[in-house]
Amino acid sequence: MKDILSLFFAYARSGLKSRFQYKVDAIVVIFAVFLREAGGVIAMYLALQKFGTINDWSIDELLFLFSLIFITYGIFIVFFMALRDFPDWIKHGDFDRVLLRPRGVLTQLVLCGADWLAAFGHGTLGILLLIISANRVGVEWNVKTVLYYLMCVIGGVLIQGAVFLAFSAITFYVLETNSLKEIFYWNMRKFAIYPLSIYNKFIQAILIFVVPFAFVNYFPAQFFLQKPDMASYPTWFMYITPIVGIVLYALAYAFWRFSLRFYKSTGN
Amino acid sequence: METMINVENLCKTFKIQRRSTGFTGAVKNIFRPTYEYKKAVNDVSFSINEGEMVGFIGPNGAGKSTTVKMLSGILHPDSGSISVAGYIPHKQRKDYVANIGVVFGQKSQISWDLSPLDSYEVIKHIYRIPDKLYKDNLERYTELLDMSDFIDRPVRQLSLGQRMRADIAAALLHSPKIVFFDEPTIGIDVVGKDKIRRFIKTLNETDNITMIFTTHDMQDIEQTCQRLIIIDDGKKLYDGSLENVKSGCVSTRIIEAEIEDMTNGIDIDHTQITHDESSGKLIVTFDTDKISTSEVMSQLMSTNSVKDISIKEPGIDAVIRDIYEGKIKVRAATRVSADASVGAVAFSNVCHRQTAPQADTRF
Repeated sequence: MKDILSLFFAYARSGLKSRFQYKVDAIVVIFAVFLREAGGVIAMYLALQKFGTINDWSIDELLFLFSLIFITYGIFIVFFMALRDFPDWIKHGDFDRVLLRPRGVLTQLVLCGADWLAAFGHGTLGILLLIISANRVGVEWNVKTVLYYLMCVIGGVLIQGAVFLAFSAITFYVLETNSLKEIFYWNMRKFAIYPLSIYNKFIQAILIFVVPFAFVNYFPAQFFLQKPDMASYPTWFMYITPIVGIVLYALAYAFWRFSLRFYKSTGN
Repeated sequence: METMINVENLCKTFKIQRRSTGFTGAVKNIFRPTYEYKKAVNDVSFSINEGEMVGFIGPNGAGKSTTVKMLSGILHPDSGSISVAGYIPHKQRKDYVANIGVVFGQKSQISWDLSPLDSYEVIKHIYRIPDKLYKDNLERYTELLDMSDFIDRPVRQLSLGQRMRADIAAALLHSPKIVFFDEPTIGIDVVGKDKIRRFIKTLNETDNITMIFTTHDMQDIEQTCQRLIIIDDGKKLYDGSLENVKSGCVSTRIIEAEIEDMTNGIDIDHTQITHDESSGKLIVTFDTDKISTSEVMSQLMSTNSVKDISIKEPGIDAVIRDIYEGKIKVRAATRVSADASVGAVAFSNVCHRQTAPQADTRF
């Protein structure tokens, strides 16, 4: 563990050092990410001024729902950036180098890819939204809820990590997976901004069973908010985010291990 | 001497989609893709002893890189066996790669925005290099590769030659037993190439590191390796001493003659005669062991009116090219006789090997 940590910090040091070679760019990136994402929040806020509520969810409750996406995504890009951009790693031959080093393949990819600056942008926005909204919707923080919140964040990160790990495994067969990600990750993420209950059954099923974004933010938020629309789903869905994360990640990992042997290096 | 690398009947086939062109072709590609199978490596066997330095050459697409990638554990072979330093590379990847270093001339492993020193720090962590070894190696390679001027400068400010030297040091910091160089001199100027070659040779001699060196530059091979493996179309064409290939050039001669009346058919025993359309010259290739130069000249002149004539000795590049094209047949039929023709001195280590490689069909 100490060994893994020291490797993680070595990667982090060199990663940050190389980003700060261009100081202006580095700082602008943080703000750019923050503002880009905040734009989405502001649009939602303005729309809600008109409607008041969506499916009985107030603006503050929606922001609480939204904050979980940013917080989990901020952590996600610290660990899963390399998997998010995995087709490039293969196309540019960088994956060959990973295979030539005496460490686990996934260990290296998870530890080395961190995009700290973007993570900082997403994370700050997420925490800001959390602080603002949690207070107003009356979340009661105690040891139990804080612990569960943290576990849900970890679970949410693992769910998204598992989705990208599976996509990365598919990359070994088809080389390019960006359109798949567009459909099954980025679009799903857009859906997850709003409460699950506003969508038709088909989209709900996808968000619960296929790309389970509902467990990243909707069900954990229900644990804290207890909105009436939770009645349409089994109550225990509110409690299983960490388990969904672990199980999904384990499945994706098995698929990744299996697919690794099909890797065909690119020519020079 | 111990065997370090042993490869037997290695095969690797790639499935390539055959693309039809045009719109209908594009539609067809989606619904009814046709595939062709390319045997990138086809039944290749060889073995390399500890401390040997082997040049691995072949035209583009010959299967060199695929072979090196299988040797280094990146690719799984379809069939055949590989054993390197007692490991099976693709099965014991993690343990195995701690013993090897790989330098890709086309793909740097040091970070563009950092100094070589910063990248080395990360490598030190990845390979778990002990402080003492790291310090010693760093000091030694900085001196041998003459890097003290630029080791703390961002890589983006370095020349290609400097970057390559920094890359070579990066691959050696963990003191590997085997090093693969994949075109390490590509695009580098004469002085830079020379520095790299001399370093590689020194390292091979002093540290007894086993090395495989793929390149397109015959000078690289001439100045560093004693043994040469030529691979083309996935098959091993030649495996033997460099000397032997060179002696192939020594006995081969090429006569270029400009002849007034080309309509007469010219035929001289023991020679290959071609007509170069662009220069209009007649090119006669022959082996001085079979027919003497004067004999060829007199036959040529007796039957034709020759305007101009010149005799050439092909350089090693030309010999290799002719080997690719199947024009020249190097005399040695097997590694064993190849060694014998050079004598016991240079290759005494190879002669005692238990497993004699298979005979090369084309020689």
